[in-house]
Amino acid sequence: MPDPILQPASAVAAWTPVATAGLSIDVRDDLTIAGIAPFRGKAQAVSEALAERYGLALPAACRRISGDDITLQWSGPDQWIAIAGRGAARDLEVELKPLLAGLAAVVDHSDARAVVVFSGKHARDVLAKGLPIDLHERAFRVGDVAITHANHIGVTITQTGNEPAYEIMLYRSYADSFADWLRHATAELTA
Amino acid sequence: MSGPQSNRLASGGGIDRSRALRFTFDGRSYSGFSGDTLASALLANGVRLVGRSFKYHRPRGILSAGSEEPNALVELRNGARREPNTRATTAELFDGLVAESQNRWPSLALDVMSVNSLLAPVFVAGFYYKTFMWPAAFWEKLYEPMIRRAAGLGRAAAEPDPDSYEKVTAFCDVLVIGGGPAGLMAALAAARSGASVILTDESFALGGRLLSERAEIDGGDANAWIARVRDELDALANVRILTRTTLFAAYDSGTCAAIERVADHLAAPPPHMPRQRIWRIIAKQVIVTAGATERPIVFGNNDRPGVMLAGAVRSYINRFGVAPGRRAVVFANNDDGCATVRDLASAGIEIAALVDTRASSPQYISELAAHHGVRLVNGVVTDVEGRLGVRSVRIRPHAGAPFTLDCDLVAVSSGWNPNVQITTHLGGKPRWSDTLATFVPGELPRGMSVAGAAAGDYALHSSLASGARAGHTAAEATGFSSPPIDTPRADDEPTSIAAFWHVQGTRHKAFVDFQNDVATTDIALAEREGYRSIEHVKRYTTLGMATDQGRTGSVNAIAILAALTDKSIPETGVTAARPPFTPVALGAFAGHHRGRTFKPERRPASYDWTKANAGVLVETGLWLRPAYFPRAGERDWLESVSREVATVRSAVGICDVSTLGKINVQGPDALALLERLYANDLASLRVGRARYGVMLREDGFLMDDGTIARLDEQHYFVTTTTANAAKVYQHMQFALQWLWPELDVQIASATEQWAQFAIAGPRARELLREIIDAAHDISNAAFPYLAVGDVTCCGGIKTRLYRLSFSGELAYEIGVPARFGPALWQRLLLAGEPLGACAYGSEALGVMRIEKGHISGPELNGTTTAADVGLGAMRSRKKDYIGRVLGERPGLVDPARPALVGLRPVERAQRLRAGAHFIARTAEATAANDDGYMTSTAFSPSLGHWIGLGLLRHGPQRQGEIIRAVDPVRGEDVLVEVVAPVFIDARGERLRA
Repeated sequence: MPDPILQPASAVAAWTPVATAGLSIDVRDDLTIAGIAPFRGKAQAVSEALAERYGLALPAACRRISGDDITLQWSGPDQWIAIAGRGAARDLEVELKPLLAGLAAVVDHSDARAVVVFSGKHARDVLAKGLPIDLHERAFRVGDVAITHANHIGVTITQTGNEPAYEIMLYRSYADSFADWLRHATAELTA
Repeated sequence: MSGPQSNRLASGGGIDRSRALRFTFDGRSYSGFSGDTLASALLANGVRLVGRSFKYHRPRGILSAGSEEPNALVELRNGARREPNTRATTAELFDGLVAESQNRWPSLALDVMSVNSLLAPVFVAGFYYKTFMWPAAFWEKLYEPMIRRAAGLGRAAAEPDPDSYEKVTAFCDVLVIGGGPAGLMAALAAARSGASVILTDESFALGGRLLSERAEIDGGDANAWIARVRDELDALANVRILTRTTLFAAYDSGTCAAIERVADHLAAPPPHMPRQRIWRIIAKQVIVTAGATERPIVFGNNDRPGVMLAGAVRSYINRFGVAPGRRAVVFANNDDGCATVRDLASAGIEIAALVDTRASSPQYISELAAHHGVRLVNGVVTDVEGRLGVRSVRIRPHAGAPFTLDCDLVAVSSGWNPNVQITTHLGGKPRWSDTLATFVPGELPRGMSVAGAAAGDYALHSSLASGARAGHTAAEATGFSSPPIDTPRADDEPTSIAAFWHVQGTRHKAFVDFQNDVATTDIALAEREGYRSIEHVKRYTTLGMATDQGRTGSVNAIAILAALTDKSIPETGVTAARPPFTPVALGAFAGHHRGRTFKPERRPASYDWTKANAGVLVETGLWLRPAYFPRAGERDWLESVSREVATVRSAVGICDVSTLGKINVQGPDALALLERLYANDLASLRVGRARYGVMLREDGFLMDDGTIARLDEQHYFVTTTTANAAKVYQHMQFALQWLWPELDVQIASATEQWAQFAIAGPRARELLREIIDAAHDISNAAFPYLAVGDVTCCGGIKTRLYRLSFSGELAYEIGVPARFGPALWQRLLLAGEPLGACAYGSEALGVMRIEKGHISGPELNGTTTAADVGLGAMRSRKKDYIGRVLGERPGLVDPARPALVGLRPVERAQRLRAGAHFIARTAEATAANDDGYMTSTAFSPSLGHWIGLGLLRHGPQRQGEIIRAVDPVRGEDVLVEVVAPVFIDARGERLRA
């Protein structure tokens, strides 16, 4: 008997997007993500290989840069992640491994992370209930990346737009707890 | 004397007379107005006896009109929301409010425990220490329950708190603490420069003391000025105003904590609203404009209802439109008497006398007294008479004979204390000011400034000016420059004072700390008994240790102690004030972290299915793993677990092992790193194969075990136990970043990427064949025991397959990207149905690993070596690795160390218990004869009896011996036979099948 294709599950069980005046929140389940950790002395070569292929070099620490079909984001000392829409069957690990062979460790993180996107003028009010960092535009600009925590859960946050818009990445197994906190934190705005 | 708001003035006050609110106090119904506090509404209704004191059950009334209140503490609300020790002076009135007085039985007016008053000589300073010293056994059973019953203040709710709380972090350039005249000016000056400003105020309205005084600013009513400032601040995007918010702590680097009472002014918070919210505010500059607190003068019976701070009298008249009495005596050592006389007179309250402690009063005071026809006495009030409230006062003039005056209100002022607490939270000490006769802020933390009354600038114009200066300076310090703003026109009212603390020669007890019932005699006694440091006196008498933190009593106490010890007040010093400045509900500190959300949960792939199918979950760290899956008709966990084990041993079972730690190790030096981390040889591990490995700590003890798979020449994939995943990852990072930074390796956690399931049992391959795409050969020849490889399943899904076995059966682990985990789990169960498959959990896994003699958490307990658990032969002699050198210490290689054995009961029906200690058959069960202990036990369905693993001295040489497993905790003593630690398939044929 032919096996049916397995249905992928969302990172958050029973997720309902938030869409209210000044605030929208949603979960992105359509991304392919790969970790890029250059080997000793190979960061420049990695950057050049990426620039040649995608027109983007590795961003500086605490920064993210987006091109037409890929986003490169700093994810810690000497490591980055690449992010793209999965589309029909795009797999950045498969795509980057040959490109960076011998230059960097490439690891599939597509399923290891839950990705939650926030936008609207109340986004900061909600995030302030969990994150201990200053998200004011004077301290945190579009393209900035911070590794911090929200509600005792480790997260990486990026400002992705001026509305303002943010993207938060966290380990997938924590996603339900994170969503539970979000429902609590947004209750005042969505009631 | 009480009637429907009988003491409400005909006009005036900031209350909304069109909005009447009903409330009850001790079961009686009253009404007040929107804008009232519970205290002002009670006074409006002529209620002035509101509670009984902590120790002596003395009748108490309302002393203040603010958060410093030591007396008017009530139980607010009822049921699950009942909160004891709520200050009536800050509780906002709402329709339907229910309050009860505390510490009285059977009623407030007739409290039998007030006999404690007669026993006052017994309840002196240090009475706990003296009275209840001996015998020690009486403390727990008799004294403590007795004291708690007699002295407790209020009753906490018995039910769980139904409300929610939250915590918020905010950042700003300038934080202004207190929205009185100085705070408003500071906020305005800073905000106009463009700096981001947070302004907090504990009241529901901005204005501070201005709300309680008849002041003019810019030639008009101060209230109009407040409204203009508020409008301007509200319109600025860089300003956040937090009312009903008390800043209760200052920490390092400009971090402050505040509690916002979001919904305490409502009967109950709406469902979406938190009751309270803690703000963590990180400010570059902090301006303390927290105002000042008035001191009472200490005299006989000064705690009787009707004795009230003069400033509070003015608050009730001016802010709440309430007459706090009918006939008043004003008793002061400072010019506050002026304003009090003026406001009493304008409210139509009779003034029996103005008693000024000074030898002679300034001319403007005598003129004011004359103008209002008030008798001015230079002297003191020695005592109040009246039991449940002031009836009269005894006055002793400096010249002439003492006399008595009838009155029902004593408005008292000994001057004002700047609210310096926040300035001292980081260790700074306040400084004594002779001119102001009080402590003012001393050395301030970096980035903090003080303005207005908090800095001792009491008079209105100088307060406004100092606020404006502080706001401007703070904004400049954060890089925002603008011209200084103009200070509005206002008068500087007289504020002269002559220090006066304590009336000597009183007939009655004179109280210093009202909330903790500390009288002048207690301080004197403490001094006589040798407690002369203010910190010692505080602890011995409990002075200043109540929830009000001694805000009205501390400075008087210091002055009294100074006089007793012949020292100056600055020599005597102040006690340290520590956070929190105001009581904060524990629920607020917990915020979202309570009950099920106390800490985050981690959920593996099978979580939703397990919940939906009534599976039982167990916590492993933050993970919730399936423990077992009961089926209808099964009586207990043992029956379910035994059925799961039997299914694996006879057919096939599926277990979620997603929680195991998984780490990618890649790079030219990947093998070099792993060789140093693991004790066993890895150099011979070929690509496409996995191997069991053990990792030691630096000190030579076992740290963790797991598997190492070689996926490629320079790519390894290691697993760890669930519990040690983070620790092993950290250990690897430490090795890489600190021990051998020269190694060219990159490691990355892959735990979350893969949903991973063990498929175990003689029919495992059959089941797998249904799942793995046909292109991949998984026959025993092509994919033997310990093979590993990347395949696809279910029509092309990325899959990593391992042939590993923890159960001892033919077994695989299959990993797929986590998003496919839930679907694959169900697919495996479905495909397994015809094969008789079942899901099994960590309990069955535990049984099977004991049957196979595999170690787990109970053996990996931080005190065992590889040799102790039978893995000594794995240790490589050809390489160096972490733990090798220290692992060879004599104590760690002692052949007498308890080592792993199997145990089975001689009487097969008997149960074995983990934790039981091994004793030789004929020896006495004493610690000296302890030969080791049972680490793990399980009922083996395969063997039909209990089995165990244990660490036994000289264990491997004692196989066949009968010993005792003694469990003193459960009172059990079982004869057990020492056997090899592998109970099933000792030759390992099944797992290679």
